[in-house]
Amino acid sequence: MSGWPKNPHQLGKDHLRYDGPIKVRGAAKYASDMQPAGWLYGMILRSPWPAARVRAIDLRPALGIPGIRAAVTANDPPFNVRYCGEELGAVAGLSKQACLDALSAIKVEADILPFVVKEEVALRDTSPRVFENQPNAGEPREMRTGDVDGAFRSADKAVEGFFQTPVQLHHCLETHGNTIQMRSDGITCWASTQGISSVSDGLADNLGISLDKVHVISEFMGGGFGSKYGAGIEGGLAARLSKEAGGLPVRLMLTRFDEALAVGNRPSSFQKVRLGAKKDGTLVAYELESFGTAGYASGGTTAGGGGGAGFPAPYIYTVPSTRVRQTSVAINAGSARAMRAPGHPQASFGMESILDEMALALSIDPVELRIKNDPSETRRRQYRIAAERFGWNAKYHSPGSSQGPLKTGVGCAGATWGGGGQGSEAEVKINPDGSVEVRCGTQDLGTGTKTLMTIVAAELFGLEPADVSVKIGDTTLPPSGGSGGSTTAASVAPAVFDACQTALGELASASGISDPRGSNWRAAAAHLRIKPIVARGRWKEGLSGRGVGGVQMAEVEVDTETGLVRVKRIVCVQDCGLVVNRLASVSQINGGIIMGIGFALYEERILDSQTGVVLNPNFETYKLPGAADVPEIDVILQDMPERGVIGIGEPVTIPTAAAIANAVSNAAGKRVTRLPITPSHVLGLLEQPPQIR
Amino acid sequence: MEEEISRRNFLRGVGASAVAGALAKAAAAAQSVESLDDQKPVGPEPEKLVLRVNGSKYEVEVEPRVTLLDVLRNRLQLTGAKEVCDRATCGACTVLLNGQPVYSCMKLAMEVQTQEITTIEGLGTPNNLTPIQRAFVECDAMMCGYCTPGFVMSLTALFSAKSNPTVEEIKKACSGNLCRCGTYPHIFKAAQRVAESGQSTT
Amino acid sequence: MKNFEYARARSVDGAIQLSTPGSRYLAGGIDLLGEMKEYIVSPKRVIDLKLIPDLGRIDTSSSTWKLGANVTIAEIAKSEPIRATLPGLAEAASEVGSPQIRNVATLGGNLAQHSRCWYYRHRDLHCLKRGGATCYAREGENKYHSLFSGNPCVSPVVSNLAVILAALDAKVSLRRGDKEVQLTVPELYSDAWGNPLAHNSLQPGDLIVHVEIPTPKNRSTYLQVSEKSDFDWALVSCAAAGRKTGDRWFEVSVFLGAVAPIPYRVESPLIERGELSSAAIGSISQSLASQATPLAHNGYKVPIAQALIRRALTRIVS
Ligand SMILES: Cc1cc2nc3c(=O)[nH]c(=O)nc-3n(C[C@H](O)[C@H](O)[C@H](O)COP(=O)(O)OP(=O)(O)OC[C@H]3O[C@@H](n4cnc5c(N)ncnc54)[C@H](O)[C@@H]3O)c2cc1C
Ligand code: SF4
Ligand code: FES
Ligand code: FES
Repeated sequence: MSGWPKNPHQLGKDHLRYDGPIKVRGAAKYASDMQPAGWLYGMILRSPWPAARVRAIDLRPALGIPGIRAAVTANDPPFNVRYCGEELGAVAGLSKQACLDALSAIKVEADILPFVVKEEVALRDTSPRVFENQPNAGEPREMRTGDVDGAFRSADKAVEGFFQTPVQLHHCLETHGNTIQMRSDGITCWASTQGISSVSDGLADNLGISLDKVHVISEFMGGGFGSKYGAGIEGGLAARLSKEAGGLPVRLMLTRFDEALAVGNRPSSFQKVRLGAKKDGTLVAYELESFGTAGYASGGTTAGGGGGAGFPAPYIYTVPSTRVRQTSVAINAGSARAMRAPGHPQASFGMESILDEMALALSIDPVELRIKNDPSETRRRQYRIAAERFGWNAKYHSPGSSQGPLKTGVGCAGATWGGGGQGSEAEVKINPDGSVEVRCGTQDLGTGTKTLMTIVAAELFGLEPADVSVKIGDTTLPPSGGSGGSTTAASVAPAVFDACQTALGELASASGISDPRGSNWRAAAAHLRIKPIVARGRWKEGLSGRGVGGVQMAEVEVDTETGLVRVKRIVCVQDCGLVVNRLASVSQINGGIIMGIGFALYEERILDSQTGVVLNPNFETYKLPGAADVPEIDVILQDMPERGVIGIGEPVTIPTAAAIANAVSNAAGKRVTRLPITPSHVLGLLEQPPQIR
Repeated sequence: MEEEISRRNFLRGVGASAVAGALAKAAAAAQSVESLDDQKPVGPEPEKLVLRVNGSKYEVEVEPRVTLLDVLRNRLQLTGAKEVCDRATCGACTVLLNGQPVYSCMKLAMEVQTQEITTIEGLGTPNNLTPIQRAFVECDAMMCGYCTPGFVMSLTALFSAKSNPTVEEIKKACSGNLCRCGTYPHIFKAAQRVAESGQSTT
Repeated sequence: MKNFEYARARSVDGAIQLSTPGSRYLAGGIDLLGEMKEYIVSPKRVIDLKLIPDLGRIDTSSSTWKLGANVTIAEIAKSEPIRATLPGLAEAASEVGSPQIRNVATLGGNLAQHSRCWYYRHRDLHCLKRGGATCYAREGENKYHSLFSGNPCVSPVVSNLAVILAALDAKVSLRRGDKEVQLTVPELYSDAWGNPLAHNSLQPGDLIVHVEIPTPKNRSTYLQVSEKSDFDWALVSCAAAGRKTGDRWFEVSVFLGAVAPIPYRVESPLIERGELSSAAIGSISQSLASQATPLAHNGYKVPIAQALIRRALTRIVS
């Protein structure tokens, strides 16, 4: 049913990255590398208080520091700040050192207010409020189906548990920020962004100028993971600094410290879950009461990627009777943003954990229990494939039963993701010398969008990807959407396809060669003499799909004396529709899994109740997975070309933590109840002798 | 594509020899240290100093508190080394100092006068990538690419010390570099490919 | 980071001469520049020690080895004589930070490094150790903190090298003004046991010149447990060393790191008597539990410390 060629010669093969050579030489220029003539260094002053009323900000001492060219306040005092790290003002100057001195010189008068940074404390009526006129707990989101109490009564077994996930930070390696030049005739912004068009919309809006005066460029960007739409408050500040400095460009990139405070995170979750099933494993009843925080703006429309700290429940499973109540609670901390599959990893951890408890209670193999209850035919098949590759039947054992202090365990989990394409446009230019350029106003987050465009064009033209050049990341190019929700490949590939199809038709008629592809290409193009073909295309139905399933299995080793967990192996079976570039797809899946390992074992933003600060605003104590933490990863791509192109950036990060948590529980003989699974947590679980079931 | 990648070129690159050269120059550098002023404090005002980067000499005028990374990126426009953490934790700022990988965010420019500094810009040329750079391209060992220069520097140092390291040694050599995109498996593959080719040429 | 005056010392005497009340020594800079970037310290003068001749030498010519203060951690980890004779020291060095850190960080700097407590290191906080009124960690987030302390500050010693050098009975030679002073490793940290403001017993201007390590102890090892698999601080570390002659053990010592402001000596009559049967090792490790006074979030360090004591002793025995 898909319009893609049945026997492709480029699609689905391993292709080298278009911009690999320039990246390995350090020659790729990111927003943070831009140094247009006269550029100034920019830095932001942030609130050291979790809650305060700012009465006055005196910028004059900053302006007196040698080398400082501009200083602005983030708001006109008086105003309130609601978390440590909220913007107070910004400076621009000739060097980082001048800016640092200027930030220290700014005088801020503020009245410090009471604050709250722990979710469970914020829920209490007696706790300080983040916003004076509203309770910290938002209106709960409630959903019901069927008669839950009756269903629990009719169930043969019921199990329950309490599960917690921490706030996870995006920590893209390139920090948030822009290099911005604001002149009277318009604004140029080199942005580190997932959406050049949302950056230009935001800047136009923020500065009250018309959209056609805003030029946004993002040829390379150093990671986003959902946190880099719009120009951000930092973009607005940089533009104002540039204006104030007489139109000199300002490069304002955040520091790593700033990244931990102010530019998004994955909301926390505290989940009380109850599950009821029949003897044969059929799930009949499910109840969830959860709360979590998306930061000070919890409950706001964009917090947490839409809707605060909620998440899908009972995740991928259908249970006839369910009762769900989810509350987002505001605390004095930076706001959440969409983070790689918003809501899903939290949902997966709670649901897959309680499912494993049920499997134990019913003495049913965990994989079989999933196959019995998972409504997706794709995933049911994937479980069989994964089990075979993983050796599940041989490896699964009853909890805690492996001998010695070093215990092994296995676990599994499944996931879903929507993705899907949307209205991107693209343009292709065929030159008389046969060279081809594809252009699209999208951006490449490291997912290989540029490469994908060359592959699609090469496929349609019977050329090699190396014969095609690409232009992206510029708002003067044909518009495309933001890169989020795993939609880029599914949006851009069909648009390029469409443009190339049109161009091919035009080339055929211009050259009189009915099939100008492949070996005819140069001859056909030569007929164009001096007039290149330029054809536009747009995304259309039938070339992209949405909705993917995937399952993962994890094998771990737990040192029960030290609590140390090591992931030995992950097997991932992922449905991905039509694969365009196998090499890049596998790499992206590896990356999703590794980020999932971080969520499972290492990552947690830690706030201090006494001072309200983030205690680990660095990579020393906010721990990201490193080389030695990476297990053997076995990726099985389940090609379904008939479904068209589907993005896979997000689904693959979802089930990893749940599978690992189940594997650790299987090894230790105790249920893991929180992430990250640190030695402290494991030893806490093991304080009592292992449960005998 | 920017360039043609062939197996033959891949084996022939210049990375290791560039590093060996740096080591030799380091010895020479140690002598010229004597010419630095004896014990006289400088600063806090900006002070002229000469840095030797990728075989060229650069004169800059900086305050003592300015880091090598700051000078490379913001004064010399050598932006391959990235500022990611500025605290010795991520490796994106890795450069070679007399052939050894170091975090340039934790070195004052003053400290490294007369020493031989190699940055990613000093490794390959568009038409002649080093074996490690080439293997990175061939194994797709980067996604967003922001961490890539740092990993290339760390592995360049590894291979100049040892031509056929084990996977464990490769992981150890990369342990001071973080990749948030999670490209590690392909990075290991790239390094192993170099290790194998190293064996085949010795 | 605030600006400062920069000077290069060309000799030990020169360093002492350059030293002023507001000055700090700079070796690898991994610790000092970190503190300066957070405005924890803002020295008026920074004295670079790296050009002092002889401080970078490993001298194994007599039975007491001399390691200069500027010897890098990478050099210690890679040194063939050290790996052969003092394997525990090489092991401890190879677990310090990352290759890039080990290439520049020095023996002297590693021993003299300051607290890594996340309250202490936070730009915007002023805890007791920074001259403020309270220790936040005691009632706050203390999973990385001490099980033992003689003062209100519970920031533990985190130098890997301190722990193994304590077990090896090393002595640290200092220049204190005109005087040469020698301290044992426990003495180098003893001030931190009782004084919340102290990171160690060094006085302003004290210069570590070298470390002397006697080599009769023919068995040594160092083990640590961290959250990550590599490039991570020890939650707990343990060093054990002793001299084995025939079947008999002499001068056995076991130290723990990251559990106290000082390298914490595991004391037991069994250790003193050199009894290292597996039963004896078990009861040595067992005895630790009764001595520790865990805080709200660091009790898990006790079983880790016990496991490491068992493993370290088992390793030197086998
Ligand atoms: C991310 C990270 C991870 C780390 N992990 C570990 C780890 O796992 N284990 C570990 O042990 N360490 C670890 N460290 C600490 C690191 O090893 C030390 O910071 C380093 O060894 C300090 O040595 P340096 O030469 O860089 O000292 P510097 O930073 O130059 O100096 C440190 C201190 O010692 C003083 N000093 C230096 N030399 C002398 C001297 N000769 N006499 C008197 N005073 C002197 C300085 O004034 C300063 O106060 C880590 C550090 C970081 C940033
Ligand atoms: S443990 Fe020490 S360093 Fe940490 S907060 Fe308390 S006083 Fe400060
Ligand atoms: S920027 Fe230097 S190590 Fe991160
Ligand atoms: S490729 Fe993006 S951080 Fe490594």
